[in-house]
Amino acid sequence: MAKVQFIKSADVKPWLAELAQQHRVFAPAYDGEALIFRPFDPELEVVLDRAATMPPKKTVFPQSEMLVDFTYSKDPEDLSRVRIEARETLPEGKTLVFGSRPCDVRGFTMFDRVYLSEKMTDIYYQARRRNTLFISLACSTIENTCFCHWVGSDPCDHTGSDVLAIPVSGGYLLESVTVSGEKLLDSQLLADGASRKAEADKFCHEIAGLLGSTRDLSQAPEKLLAVFDNMEFWEEVSAKCLSCGACTYLCPSCYCFNITDETSGMKGKRLRSWDNCMSAQFTMEASGHNPRPTKAHRLKNRVGHKFSYYPAIHGGVTSCCGCGRCIKSCPAGIDIREIVLKAINFAPAAVEE
Amino acid sequence: MPVLKGKELRIVGFLCNWCSYGGADTAGVGRFTQPTDLRIIRVPCSGRIDPLFIIKTLMNGADGVLVSGCHPRDCHYAEGNFYARRRLEVLHRFLPILGFEPGRFEYTWVSASEGQRWQQVVTRFTEQIHKLGPAPKIAGPEASKTLRQMEAAL
Amino acid sequence: MKYQQELKDSIRKALPDLDVVIAWSSGFDPLHATPHFIRRDEDIDRLEIGPLCVHNLATYLPGLRGKKVGIVVKGCDSRSVIELLQENLIKREDVTIFGFPCTGVVDQTKVRKALGNAGRVDFCQVASQTLVVGAGGTEHKLRLSKVLADKCFSCQYPNALLADHFVGEKISPSVAEEEGYDDLAAFENMPLDERFAFWQKEMDRCIRCYACRNACPMCVCRDHCLAESRDPHWLSQEDNVRDKWMFQLIHAYHLAGRCTECGECQRACPMDIPLLLLKKKMNKEIKELFQYEAGVDPAATPPLLSFKMEEENIKEREW
Repeated sequence: MAKVQFIKSADVKPWLAELAQQHRVFAPAYDGEALIFRPFDPELEVVLDRAATMPPKKTVFPQSEMLVDFTYSKDPEDLSRVRIEARETLPEGKTLVFGSRPCDVRGFTMFDRVYLSEKMTDIYYQARRRNTLFISLACSTIENTCFCHWVGSDPCDHTGSDVLAIPVSGGYLLESVTVSGEKLLDSQLLADGASRKAEADKFCHEIAGLLGSTRDLSQAPEKLLAVFDNMEFWEEVSAKCLSCGACTYLCPSCYCFNITDETSGMKGKRLRSWDNCMSAQFTMEASGHNPRPTKAHRLKNRVGHKFSYYPAIHGGVTSCCGCGRCIKSCPAGIDIREIVLKAINFAPAAVEE
Repeated sequence: MPVLKGKELRIVGFLCNWCSYGGADTAGVGRFTQPTDLRIIRVPCSGRIDPLFIIKTLMNGADGVLVSGCHPRDCHYAEGNFYARRRLEVLHRFLPILGFEPGRFEYTWVSASEGQRWQQVVTRFTEQIHKLGPAPKIAGPEASKTLRQMEAAL
Repeated sequence: MKYQQELKDSIRKALPDLDVVIAWSSGFDPLHATPHFIRRDEDIDRLEIGPLCVHNLATYLPGLRGKKVGIVVKGCDSRSVIELLQENLIKREDVTIFGFPCTGVVDQTKVRKALGNAGRVDFCQVASQTLVVGAGGTEHKLRLSKVLADKCFSCQYPNALLADHFVGEKISPSVAEEEGYDDLAAFENMPLDERFAFWQKEMDRCIRCYACRNACPMCVCRDHCLAESRDPHWLSQEDNVRDKWMFQLIHAYHLAGRCTECGECQRACPMDIPLLLLKKKMNKEIKELFQYEAGVDPAATPPLLSFKMEEENIKEREW
C-alpha cells in the first residue's frame, strides 16, 4: 500500500534541505534562461511550474564520466617495457532528483532494458541507477510538443519514480511508488494526505483529458522498416535537419556513448561521454568508410531506433517518452511525430510494369 | 642567474625559425643576461601561428604568451608575417573580450642579428607579466559553487 | 505579412527552373515557423513570411551545391549568402535569391518568458507592433518591441543586400550605422575579471550538441570539425568549462572577419548561451581595425585573407 502524504508549497525547500543531508539533491533551477537540474542550494529558486529545458539525464548518465584511470610506468632496467596500472572508478554516493517529470523518469526505463539486461550489466550505470531516487512531479500544463499519451504514458505516470507528487490546493500530494520512496516520506514537514487523494485523482483525470486524442503507433515498427530503403523519403524529411545533437542530448531516452582515452604524459583516464547518432563521426569507421554518410541516413536511424528497432527487441516498447524536447529545442523545428506518422501513412507509388 | 628575483611565471614564446629564433640564439651566444621565465616553441614562420595556439596556451594556464617573427618585408616566405600581423592584432583585441588582460599577449619583430633587441624584448615582456601576476585560472568542475557566487554578483 | 502573396507569385514563376526553393512555413505550433523546402507547385501555398521566420536558410546552401536553389532571405540572411559567394563556397549562377523587407524576427526565448507557463498555443497573429498569442485559453498580447531578437534592434540591413527578386518596398535600418554596436555597452563596461567569470558561468551549461556550429551558415567544415577530431586533439571529451569555452573560441576565431551576425549560433543553442555577444564584439573590433563588414560586398576579400604592407590601424611597432 502506497504511503500518501501532503506537503505545503512553502515547505518544499525546507524538505529538500532536509533530504540534502543524506543525498546529493538536484532540483530544477534557472541557469541563465535555461531551466536545468542543479545541485540544491537554498539560495536558488526551485522552478516547478514548467518542464525543464534539460531532463535530469546527467544524474544517472553523466555527460562525461571516468571509467578507469591509468598510469604508465617504465621498467628502469628496460625502458621499452611499459607497465600499465589501471583503476576502475565506480561512482559513489546517493542522489535524489526532485521535480523531474513522469516522462523524464520513464526515459530511464528505456536505459534499463539495455544497460541492466540479463545478458549484460553496465556496472557504472547500475551503480548510479541504484543510488538515485526520483521524486517526480505530475504535469500541470500541457504543451504543444507533449505526446506522452501516444507512447503509453500520461501526466501522472509513476513508472520509474520513487515518489510521485501531484499538485493539490496549497501544496502537493506525495505518493510513494517504491519502498525507498516510502522512506523519504517520513519527514516532520509532511502531513497525512489521504483526505486529498480524491482531489489528486481528479487533477490527474482532468490533465490527461487535456492531452487530446492519441495516435495509434502499433504499426510504426513495421512501416518504418518498409521505408528503410526509400532514401527519397528520408532525404525529404531530413532536408531541414542541421545534423546537430540537440535532439539526442536533450532526449531522456537516448543512451548512446563514446569511449575515449585522454592521456597526459604518463597518466590518463578512460572516459565515457555522450555521443549522438546525428553526428557523422558516430558511425565513422577506421577505414574511413561511413555507413551513414548523410543526414538522411542519420535521422532515419534516430527515428527508426526509437519507433522500430528498439520495440522489435524490447517487447514492443517504444523508446520515446513523448516529452517533446526534440521538437521544442530543434533549431530547425523538426517534428519527430510528423515523420513517424508520415511513415505510417506512406503509400508507395504503384510500381510501373 | 635570473635577472628578476622571486618566483618564475609561465611564459610561452612562439618564435619564427628564421629571424627571432636566430635572434634569441644570437643573444645567447653573446651571453646577454635574460630572464628565464620564457619557454620557446620554434615555428617555421609567424604565419604558421594559428591564433588558437595562443588562446589554448592561455586557457591551459600560461601567464603570458609572446610571439616574435621577422620584421615586415623581411619574411623568409615573403608575406607570412603580413598575414600574421592581421591575425595577431585581431587576437590582441579578442583576448580582453574573454577577460584576459591585454598585456598577457604581445607580438613583435626581432631579426636574427638583433641579439640585443631580443634581450630587451624578453626582459620587457617578462617584467610586464610579473607586474600582472599569475593569470586567472579556469574553474575546475568542483568550482561550481564559486561560479554561483559570481552569478549572484553579476 | 503583406508581401507574402507577391513572394509566392514570384517563386511560382521561377520554380520550373529550380530544383528547390527554401522558404518557411508554419511549424509544430502556430508560434513557430520551420524551414520549408519547396519542390512542387503545391508546396508554395504553405509558404509563410513574418516575424516567426527566425531561421537563416543560407546555412543549407553549401550542402546543396550543384543544384539550382532558390532561397528566401531576410537582410541578415542575405549577408550570409554574400559571404558564401565571397568565399567561393557557392556559385552565383546556382542561386536565385528572393528578398523582402524584414521588420524583425522574434526571439523565442523572450516569447517563452513573456508567455510564462501558458500551456498549449492555439493561434498566433501578427497585428501592427503586437504578437497576439492564444495560449491555454487566454489571449496574450505581446508587444513586438519586447519580444523581437536583440539583433533586430541594431539591424543595419533590413533589406536583402543581394536579390534577384525583391518583393515590397525597402525599409530603413533600425538604428544609424554609428549606433550599431551600442548594445555592447553593458558588456564593455564589465571589468576584465567579471568577463572571465561571466563566460565561464555561461559556458558551464553547454551540452556540446554543437547546434551553434551546425546552424552557423559560415561553419562550412561540416563533418570535419576540429571539435571532434582526435588528431589534432584540440578538445578532450571531458565535461568541463575549459573545453566547452575553448570550442566557442575556436568557433569565434574561425569566424573572425567572416561572421555576418545572423545570430543563428545563439538562437540554435538549446541552453540559451549568449553566443552572439562574443561574435558581435569580435565584429566590432574587426570593423574598427579594417573598416570591414562581412557579407556586404560580393567582390570584397575578407580581411584575414589579405594584408597591406602598411596597415593604417595596426601599431605593432609601438610595443
